[in-house]
Amino acid sequence: RAKPRVGTFRYMTNGLGLYSRPFIESFEETPMLVAVLTYMGYGILTIFGYLRDFLRDWKIERCHVAREREEQRDFVPLYQDFENFYTRNLYMRIRDSWNRPICSVPGAKVDLVERVSPDYNWTFDYTGKVVEGVINMGSYNYLGFAENTGYCADASAEVTMKYGVGVASTRQEMGNLDRHEEMEELVAKFLGVESAMAFGMGFATNSMNIPALTGKGCLILSDELNHASLVLGARLSGSTIRVFKHNNMQSLEKMLRDAIVHGQPRTHRPWKKILILVEGIYSMEGSIVRLPEVIALKKRYRAYLYLDEAHSIGALGPGGRGVVDYFGLDPRDVDVMMGTFTKSFGAAGGYIGGRKELLEYLRSHSHSAVYAASMSPPVVEQIIASMKCIMGEDGTTLGRDRVQQLAENTLYFRRRLTEMGFIIYGNNDSPVVPMMLYMPAKIGAFGREMLKRNIGVVVVGFPATPIIESRARFCISAAHTKDMLDTALSVISEVGDLLQVKYSRHKRLIYDQIQD
Amino acid sequence: MAFEDVWKKISWLYYQYILVTALYMLEPWERAIFNSILISVAGMAVYTGYVFMPQHIMAILQYFEMVQ
Repeated sequence: RAKPRVGTFRYMTNGLGLYSRPFIESFEETPMLVAVLTYMGYGILTIFGYLRDFLRDWKIERCHVAREREEQRDFVPLYQDFENFYTRNLYMRIRDSWNRPICSVPGAKVDLVERVSPDYNWTFDYTGKVVEGVINMGSYNYLGFAENTGYCADASAEVTMKYGVGVASTRQEMGNLDRHEEMEELVAKFLGVESAMAFGMGFATNSMNIPALTGKGCLILSDELNHASLVLGARLSGSTIRVFKHNNMQSLEKMLRDAIVHGQPRTHRPWKKILILVEGIYSMEGSIVRLPEVIALKKRYRAYLYLDEAHSIGALGPGGRGVVDYFGLDPRDVDVMMGTFTKSFGAAGGYIGGRKELLEYLRSHSHSAVYAASMSPPVVEQIIASMKCIMGEDGTTLGRDRVQQLAENTLYFRRRLTEMGFIIYGNNDSPVVPMMLYMPAKIGAFGREMLKRNIGVVVVGFPATPIIESRARFCISAAHTKDMLDTALSVISEVGDLLQVKYSRHKRLIYDQIQD
Repeated sequence: MAFEDVWKKISWLYYQYILVTALYMLEPWERAIFNSILISVAGMAVYTGYVFMPQHIMAILQYFEMVQ
């Protein structure tokens, strides 16, 4: 049964006192029959996987996977066959739903290159045709800045004419352009922090900066469903990592108390520092972090907070300033604010914002700052132009309109999907909408049927999600008009009826009561 | 006309069966193997029931002393 959870907090304060608006998220339970049938489906696929592996091993069937050369057969094996069992036998069969080549700007509509496979997805042939005008429900284009016309694109083109495309150096050596300095000041102003620093790649921002912040003798408390970049950064740092249940404040508080009372494992010395890693919006669940409670805990137990706003910056909050703005909190409470420019700004790269001393330290000690090439000038200009647009500094109300359009689109889309009877995870306000499919065959079928009807979606299965909880993930954009959303919704309903994925067992009436 | 509707309904039911058992993802010869094994096992079960049902019913009725 669905459990709509409003903020509750047993140990410290009643969570309702910290929230200025209702916090409604739901993760409906998997129906028992569907779970059993999903396991049965995976069992059948596993049996046939063993059969195909047997045939490949005995050379009855041609083997397409990587193998060592004949001369090396007696060496220590280079390719671990069983680890790739899932890839060979399950992923390959429906591989045409992923890595689809795009040949236009990934805006609200996109053009795909048509391809066919003569040998069941081991190789692809291009027919030469282009599927045009596919409604794009998969790109992280929350504010619609992925466009090749308009003010941002013109500014980037001008800067390319002036500075070229490559920077040919790292930030520390000769790669620090005046555009970088201006961009960093603008990012700091946008976030409301003292100082900010930008890096070329969002993944590298997390994985290369967390090792600079913590080390041996420190404790990292990381959410269960954190992104691979955060997990990699935490592991590279060499700190002790403890995982708390997803968005569960009781679990986090218990861990904090245990950490402070017991200290380090054998010596019982106090931890050098405790860092809490959370994300603004979790992209596979669509849930929003309970930030007021996390900040209250952090202040009480003197821990540090690292907030990864990859999906929430630009997408949440009345001014588009992210999850801190959404809850109406003070940005100075968050010690390290990290985010990416890939999603809402239509550029690439990541940033870290915080106090001046922290950023000065990172400028000289972060691997990414010292070794990675600096950001390309057109990308920097796109960030500057889009950020000015969101803040309203370019003189138009375009930014504010887009933020509002995104919020409206999100509410409308989520409400219609739950009314249709699909199981949707996550918070009401999150523009990431995961829709549960569960069965392995329906993953491939959903992707293909939607493409036949000219809608491009992203479907996700194991190992990005738990084995039975595969889903289709829609990303709403401010560039989607109501007509596009209505078309998409009617097609989703049609395909949902065809595939029988309307699993939800009760009608939600709660949405009608919340009309801001 | 009625035959078309029945054919569509059966085709839709077959599609659901294919999706739920994950046969949708398998190649045609794998589907043929699975379907033939399933049909032969089901056929054997039905045949056994057909052959032995009269004997079982007589045994039950004799147990309840309803017939000699």
